[in-house]
Amino acid sequence: MTLEIALLGARVRHGPLEALHGVDLPVPAGRLTVLLGRNGAGRSTALDALAGAVPLSAGRVHWYGGAPARSGAARDITALGAYARARRGMTLVPAEGAVFPSLTVADHLSRSTPRERAAVLDLFPELGRLLPRSAGTLSGGEQQMLALGVALARPSRLLMLDEPGRGLAPAVLERLHTALAAQVAAGRTVVLAEQSLPSEATAAVDLVHVLHRGSVIFSGEPGEPGLAAISATAAPSPHPAGPGPGRWRPG
Amino acid sequence: MSPSPSPRPNPSPSPAPRLSARALVRRFGGVTALDQVSLDLPPGRITALTGHNGAGKSTLFRCLSGADRPDSGQVLLDGRDITRLPEYTRARLGLARTFQQIAVFPGLSVADNLRVGAEQAGRRGRLEADFAVARTLRLLGLDHLADRHASGLPTGTLRLVELGRALSAEPGVLLLDEPAAGLDRAESEQLAVLLTALAADGLAVLLVEHDRELVDRIADRVLTMSAGRILPAVSTSAASTPAPAPSDGAADDA
Amino acid sequence: MAAPLALQLAVAGLSVGSAAAITGIGLVVCHRATGVLNLAQGAVAMATAFALRQCVVVWHWPRALAVACCVLLLAPGLGFLMDVLVFRRLQRRRAGTAETLVAGLGVFVLLVGAATLLWGTTPYPDAPVVVPATPLGTPDGLLITLDTAVELGLVLLLAAAVGALSRWTAFGTALRAVVDNRRLAELSGIDADAVASTGWAFGAFTAGLTGVLLAPALRLDPYGLPLLVMETLAVAVAAGLRSLPLAIGTALLLGIGQSELTMLHPSGAAQPLLQAVSSGLFVVALLAVALLPGRLAAGLSALPPAPTLSATTAATVTATATSAARTRQIGRRWAAALLLLVPLALRGGDVRSLLPGPGLALILLSIVVVTGYGGQISLGQAGYAGLGALLTGALAGGTIPGLPALPAPAALLLATAVAAPCGLLVGWPAIRRRGLALALTTFAVGTAMSRFVFQQPSLTSGLRLDRTGAWADDRLFYGVELALIAAALLAVHALCRGATGRALGAMRDHEPAAYASGVDVPRLKLLAFTAGAALAALGGGLLGLGAQAFDPNAFDPVLGLLWFAAAVGLGADSASAAVLGAMVLTVLDASTTAGVSAAAIGLLALVRGRLVHGRRAGTGGSTAPVPPEQPPLPVRLSPFGERLVQRLKGVPE
Repeated sequence: MTLEIALLGARVRHGPLEALHGVDLPVPAGRLTVLLGRNGAGRSTALDALAGAVPLSAGRVHWYGGAPARSGAARDITALGAYARARRGMTLVPAEGAVFPSLTVADHLSRSTPRERAAVLDLFPELGRLLPRSAGTLSGGEQQMLALGVALARPSRLLMLDEPGRGLAPAVLERLHTALAAQVAAGRTVVLAEQSLPSEATAAVDLVHVLHRGSVIFSGEPGEPGLAAISATAAPSPHPAGPGPGRWRPG
Repeated sequence: MSPSPSPRPNPSPSPAPRLSARALVRRFGGVTALDQVSLDLPPGRITALTGHNGAGKSTLFRCLSGADRPDSGQVLLDGRDITRLPEYTRARLGLARTFQQIAVFPGLSVADNLRVGAEQAGRRGRLEADFAVARTLRLLGLDHLADRHASGLPTGTLRLVELGRALSAEPGVLLLDEPAAGLDRAESEQLAVLLTALAADGLAVLLVEHDRELVDRIADRVLTMSAGRILPAVSTSAASTPAPAPSDGAADDA
Repeated sequence: MAAPLALQLAVAGLSVGSAAAITGIGLVVCHRATGVLNLAQGAVAMATAFALRQCVVVWHWPRALAVACCVLLLAPGLGFLMDVLVFRRLQRRRAGTAETLVAGLGVFVLLVGAATLLWGTTPYPDAPVVVPATPLGTPDGLLITLDTAVELGLVLLLAAAVGALSRWTAFGTALRAVVDNRRLAELSGIDADAVASTGWAFGAFTAGLTGVLLAPALRLDPYGLPLLVMETLAVAVAAGLRSLPLAIGTALLLGIGQSELTMLHPSGAAQPLLQAVSSGLFVVALLAVALLPGRLAAGLSALPPAPTLSATTAATVTATATSAARTRQIGRRWAAALLLLVPLALRGGDVRSLLPGPGLALILLSIVVVTGYGGQISLGQAGYAGLGALLTGALAGGTIPGLPALPAPAALLLATAVAAPCGLLVGWPAIRRRGLALALTTFAVGTAMSRFVFQQPSLTSGLRLDRTGAWADDRLFYGVELALIAAALLAVHALCRGATGRALGAMRDHEPAAYASGVDVPRLKLLAFTAGAALAALGGGLLGLGAQAFDPNAFDPVLGLLWFAAAVGLGADSASAAVLGAMVLTVLDASTTAGVSAAAIGLLALVRGRLVHGRRAGTGGSTAPVPPEQPPLPVRLSPFGERLVQRLKGVPE
């Protein structure tokens, strides 16, 4: 088993707030890794740190690019910006604002090769009739399909998706998971950030990291009993901000 | 606000509220962000406010603190109508707040950050201000950092500095906007202990917080907002985990 | 048959309007690609115009070649260099607008200084004409000349080219992507830096084009042209920094309006006023977009909220700084005191050349109070300095109806007292403005004062600034200046320490938190601007009395920018550094050729802009102490996880 990329002791600050408190986050190559945690736990920040969208205040990012770790091929890419990393084959689809609102769907696809375009329209045929529309006018689900389609079609080694299921109809979501499984089988490395373990994809998940308050509190396979216990406290409850008890607690 | 909290007093059933909102309405364009919201913050209690993004928590918070004005309705501080008073006057009357994105004065020393709070609340005399600052530094365990610049300190410490700035004014009401944001587990644990101790000392606390764990642990009452209204209190057993008693000596812990 | 006058004037106005429109296009495109409003636009225009004159007049290059080199190579090259050397770094570490603004001013001042060094301050009347005003024809008696046609054509061509490029090319798609969401663009593999560089180069190209088009109509000097182009900022701001058609429309309308106003000939007192307005319609527009609520807010809301200058220049020096900073501060104080005292030991002529030192020190001190302590950007302090000089002269000369001529000392003090409340002119707008909006407002007010007051002969005639009696002696007058600056320093010290000083620091560092702490922010802002106006007016009065004449050029708005860059470059929150810097600049001005001091200030502002980030407030992790090592959280790793971590740490399988 080889690594694709890893955060080592990564700290990230957003202004005065520290969002990641020295996180070690290995991502194995050619596998499906899931980052779990509730809002504010640091999932998105971890993805941003991997993709170079935020600078680290401490720690490093190592990129193995699929080479065997033993060969010492780890490259320190901490100083590389998001653009340079994207050019090296890393793709991140953020949870929000994943499309350019004033660009049309066709504009989004204009940077892909004809074959990639075909692949996008094959996966999400719904986009075919939306080509002349500007992305800002699409529904949330359509925007998500566009962002995911472009990202999946791009010939990147590492694909990172932040809550890809948002706004997608169940049938579409199923298609997405099938596509992701196929991508992983074809040797691509995929990282998903989710609030809870996607049940449809559990079988395909190789590794789970659980983040809580900016630290990794669990790393392991999805089937392990430890995960269930830890999810109860760290992973979100089904109702993240559900109705409160609205009563005085005795003494 | 003594450093060592007494065991939690068993409050009388309905102490007079320090801060009240009466039928607040706030509209932005066609959207009603606050729809007849009423709220009481009694002394010695921690009231938590939860709800999804866009439910109106922030608007309510801003209307209470004075950063925004409601279109109608009243805000009362100790029975006095403060609806039309600007934010800084409310602060001088004993209504303190913190920010989600920690707000400290990085060009000032930690002690001076606290001193701004004390002085603006009317403690202009040197001795008086010195005393308020020293006591707050002690309470928060910041003594050794008093002369440090407030820039570049770790998140948890900055949060304490901000809290100290609010507390050195000796407020009656403390409004906290996601105070645990950016804190790690140990730090939010400290914060929980500290807030519990402060409430036990008689402070009325309003806590806007997403972290259910923290809310369940320290809040005496949890209000949920949705679509600009506070949902009627529903008694569930979901959050009935008893809060651990505050450990003695909050100052030492913090 | 002659066309109606109004139509003739409209055509005449198109020329200036087109030049402004070209600059407007450049500012808008550059802002869209980079998120930065290029304040150095005017300086680039001036530098290009000078370079063209050098090529054509001095080196006798063929005109077409010279124009191509200057407009197509030099100007875009300057823009590219500005991006690579200055702005890219700022963008990369997400500097706030205040910091970018100071950097832009640094470039501005550096270019002005370099031009002054190379070409001196004497205006050249012989800037080469690029497009001659050959009459093209007179349809219906309306005279149309080649230059107007070409300029208007260029505007339409540029606008069409920008539109077509951004709609139908890959680069255009990339540009629109970056405008939409820079972060996402980078994540998608779009080189946002390259897009930004292109934006800067294009912006500078339009600046150069404007410069060479406008220069023949002016006498070319390092201050006039930059100011003229700065005034056209109004066009870009009115367009919300986004809309090209709006920018072009505003520019053409203002050009035409300016021309049409010359048709009116009211009698009496309105005449000079109307003349001033018609020659300065762009200043009026700038003032309007800056002061009218809404317009500017709409234009600038796209900008990220700026931390005030504290982030760039904050505070080595609250009383509790580290001992090294304290040592530096004491060193600065001694050096400043020494430099202030030196002239007393000099010969008469040398004393005279150093007379402006204390006046300048007071003006820089006013910027320290407003910007360094209070965190409010003020680019208009030159206006208050000029006001101080003007009022002193007017009071001493008895030109104010109903007041007898006062002796100079009384006039100086009364002028300061009268100028102080004028600080409210920018103090009021400042209550609701920050960052770029405040910078533009203060600049507009300063420029308007210069244009509509200092340069009005009716207002500046009969001024008396000559020193008589004991003050006639330069050495004694210098002593008076020293006494006044000592008094001012004491007053500032008294104001800015203790509770008020801390409240100012709080307002500078975090305005919302200052409000929440109980600081009466509006009152404090008014206080800061009033104190600043008084200090600047006192300084200006001393400058006027030192020179024994009122010279509107001594209070040029461009000088205001230069002084601001100097005060910020020297460390905006240190009074002693301001005094020291003022004396050094005065010595430089007295002992070297003109332009050295400006170039030095520009370099200083740029270098400081980069250095200060080491101790940036609040956000920097670099100065953080190592936090006490917390025990590692109980991480539960499965065997699989363990293997992974071991692999991570390099333990072989």
